[in-house]
Amino acid sequence: MRAARQVWSGVYNLVLGLVTVFKHLGHKAITLQYPDERMPMFERSRGVVVLLSDPETGKLNCTACMVCARICPVYAIDLERSEEPDPETKKRYPVKFEIDNTTCAFCGLCEEACNFDAIKLTGKYEFSVYDQKTLLYDRDFLQELGRDVPYEKKKKPLPKAKAAPKADPTSPKPEEPASPKPEESPEESPGEDKPEA
Amino acid sequence: MFELEGIFSAVGDFLASFLGAPLLQIVSIIAVAGVVIGFLMVLALFLVWWERKLSADFQVRIGPMRTGPHGVLQTIADALKLLQKEDIVPLTADKKVFFWAPVICFVTCFLAYICMPFGKGLIVRDLNIGILYIVAITTFTVISLLMAGWASNNKYSLLGGMRSAAQIISYEVPLSLSLLGAVMLAQSLSMVTIVQGQGGSFLHWYIWRQPLGFLLYVTAATAEVNRTPFDIPEAEQELVAGYNIEYSGMKFAMFFLAEFINMFTVCAIAATLFLGGWNPPFEFLSFIPSWVWFLGKSLFLVFILMWFRWTYPRLRVDQLMAFAWKFLLPLAFLNIIVTGFLIYLFE
Amino acid sequence: MMVDSPDRPEPLTGDRNLETEEFVVNMGPQHPSTHGVCRLILTMDGEVIKKVVPDIGFLHRSIEKIAENRTYHQFMIYTDRIDYVSSMNANHAWCVAVEKLAGIEVPERAEYLRVIMAELNRIASHLVFLASFAIDLGAVTPFLYAFRERERIVDLFEMTCGQRLTYNYMRIGGVSKDVPKDFVSETKKFCSYLYPRVDEYEAILTENPIFLGRTKGIGLLDLPTAINYSVSGPPLRGSGLKWDIRKDEPYSAYEKFDFDIPTGENGDTWDRYKVRIEEMRQSARIVEQALEGLPEGGIKAKVPARFRPPQGEAFARIEAPRGEMAYFIVSDGSTKPYRVKIRTASFCNLQALPVMARGWKIADIVAIFGSLDIILPEVDR
Repeated sequence: MRAARQVWSGVYNLVLGLVTVFKHLGHKAITLQYPDERMPMFERSRGVVVLLSDPETGKLNCTACMVCARICPVYAIDLERSEEPDPETKKRYPVKFEIDNTTCAFCGLCEEACNFDAIKLTGKYEFSVYDQKTLLYDRDFLQELGRDVPYEKKKKPLPKAKAAPKADPTSPKPEEPASPKPEESPEESPGEDKPEA
Repeated sequence: MFELEGIFSAVGDFLASFLGAPLLQIVSIIAVAGVVIGFLMVLALFLVWWERKLSADFQVRIGPMRTGPHGVLQTIADALKLLQKEDIVPLTADKKVFFWAPVICFVTCFLAYICMPFGKGLIVRDLNIGILYIVAITTFTVISLLMAGWASNNKYSLLGGMRSAAQIISYEVPLSLSLLGAVMLAQSLSMVTIVQGQGGSFLHWYIWRQPLGFLLYVTAATAEVNRTPFDIPEAEQELVAGYNIEYSGMKFAMFFLAEFINMFTVCAIAATLFLGGWNPPFEFLSFIPSWVWFLGKSLFLVFILMWFRWTYPRLRVDQLMAFAWKFLLPLAFLNIIVTGFLIYLFE
Repeated sequence: MMVDSPDRPEPLTGDRNLETEEFVVNMGPQHPSTHGVCRLILTMDGEVIKKVVPDIGFLHRSIEKIAENRTYHQFMIYTDRIDYVSSMNANHAWCVAVEKLAGIEVPERAEYLRVIMAELNRIASHLVFLASFAIDLGAVTPFLYAFRERERIVDLFEMTCGQRLTYNYMRIGGVSKDVPKDFVSETKKFCSYLYPRVDEYEAILTENPIFLGRTKGIGLLDLPTAINYSVSGPPLRGSGLKWDIRKDEPYSAYEKFDFDIPTGENGDTWDRYKVRIEEMRQSARIVEQALEGLPEGGIKAKVPARFRPPQGEAFARIEAPRGEMAYFIVSDGSTKPYRVKIRTASFCNLQALPVMARGWKIADIVAIFGSLDIILPEVDR
């Protein structure tokens, strides 16, 4: 009797499996024909890093404050600040801004840290090349990549954002104000100790 | 009007008009072999493509799409690629055996078609021991698989070869026994007689008188051609690729195509013995050529085997043996006894 | 129907005149079913396994040492890469540990979001398990079905944090971004979509006699052995112990949710599979509850960019999909940890493999290895 029930359950479940799989015949495929069809990327998608420019002046938003270079966990950003501010915008600008896409982890920490809407991770994800060296994106190329990227002006954080960990008074106060302050003259914020690269 | 029998006999008459009898025989042998092998190659290519498309459909994917409309030329492209690939022979392999294994596998898989009734009058040679011959010749695969597994000098392929030997020989027993029921009903071993015995409406098909035999045959045949859930000789997740792990290029393609031809062989046998072969299910449908019915029924069974493959997990080697000897074999004997008893009772 | 008694196979006894020899098979590092680059050195007697020695370390990236050279914020992206199938949980564990070290209060909404993400990620991780386990046993189709569902979870993650694999979503003191507008409705839709899908997998696998034959009674891990080998997560629960850190040492907001801890009875491969299947349903339940009660408010406590926790040490563990994931941090008061020790479930669970696999066949070790759900980067770190 028990054997009979076992055989019945076996046969039933074998058929159940067949039926379940059969039901999928003729369904619309969930896969895409990649180069012809593409997934729509989400607004927040983190792909290739670009530098954003001011749509009016066409100049980079970046003031070369070094925040991104400092936060980058893989030290993929190589950044050099201009000696003199730009005569038009009265801001300093990066004379050299290189992102090494071979090491970039697309973590988005640079975008989060930036206070000037200067750097952004976009939904672009196709950047295969034959030569590894071409993956070292320089400033002009990054700017070119960022030309068509729409972005909203970040609400500038209030200058008094002097965040000490409120929850833990015992922790030693950081000597420096928390996140790099969005001073009017960012060139004054010292380079600080850059993490050893 | 679409029966191929007439065309073939017309061609034969035409050749006979200017060839002498001995020459005609040689020419006709070559011509028939060429036609059958050509048909089977096209069929194998089609089956590979179909399997890929079907599995994609089961798995809500698309499958090959690029080469030709819906990827129909994909297998041809793959075969061409395999032809161009370097033929790697392992340094420590037994070179001769390594070379002959795929050849034997590939050649023997065609031999079964000597007495396969493709349609009314469409048979290379109607042997009076047809089914016995087919069962004997299909077992040849095991020799080639064992040779391949042994000659590769690879532990995985050795395991695969041993597994295939154990499996195919074990399953040969219930397989042959499950066919006996149909043979007893037809009172003949000849494939043509068996098919003729199932003429008339589909109610005369042996599947209705041999349901158990049919199920046993399909199960054993799945194991015979190493398809999931019985594909342990090449179990990809355990033995990587089993007996053909060291094969590349055209030798691999030979194993691969032979597997698909073998699959069609067992399905064609099942269609012939249990589903009425070339007979249409109803008399009024006999305007459709007989070979269409034969192909349709065989391909339907191929579909079922593919359906199995994309649904079930794989058995373990000892379970597989236990299943053959403890489950299939007693049932096959029971089937024979009951069939014999019923034949004695009613006829 | 053809399921044999699940006794251990007897060792082969040859004829007196027949000499048999054990041989060594290197399963991996390139093998379809070692789930990455693990090498199992099998000593075999025919098909029967006499001895298994896992050889690990092919993926070693010295993440613990890297941690000593990164700030607490920066190390977050490395946690993603420890267990890439459930990065959210790895993020979470790091956050919990650092917050414990510095005593940071996390806003309620952030805790809820963390729970939602961690549980969605648990479902995704178990789907990957199911997919690879089915394919290990030779059933290819459930693989695609499981990945179809995972795709939707990954879409939800990408919608929120922008990435599909290495999320880097959580931050010390909260989460990086609030969820987008339609996240809640989409996730609810997904949860109600998931239950019938799980039933579908069960229809294909759970009671299938071939599947039963391949899993039931295979790779037994009894409870004392499991505890001695420090096995955790679904393998431990499969052996019958009701131990889940989410319930027993609640972190984040887990004490607010109602969910069950599924356990197995025999500690065989089937039990470990079944526990994970049930956990998917329970995780979906947690997600639904968390979405219902998602509070308003901030998503991040104020933590300075140059964050310096006090001197001291902290140990925190969470229930990751593969078992306990723990971080032990020693801080010297600077921006970088002095030492980080990572306890990963896969590493400990893998140690139990030689005990579980001894005496089974080569086909079984694939099933047993699959049922442990090892992630190799997590083993090697």
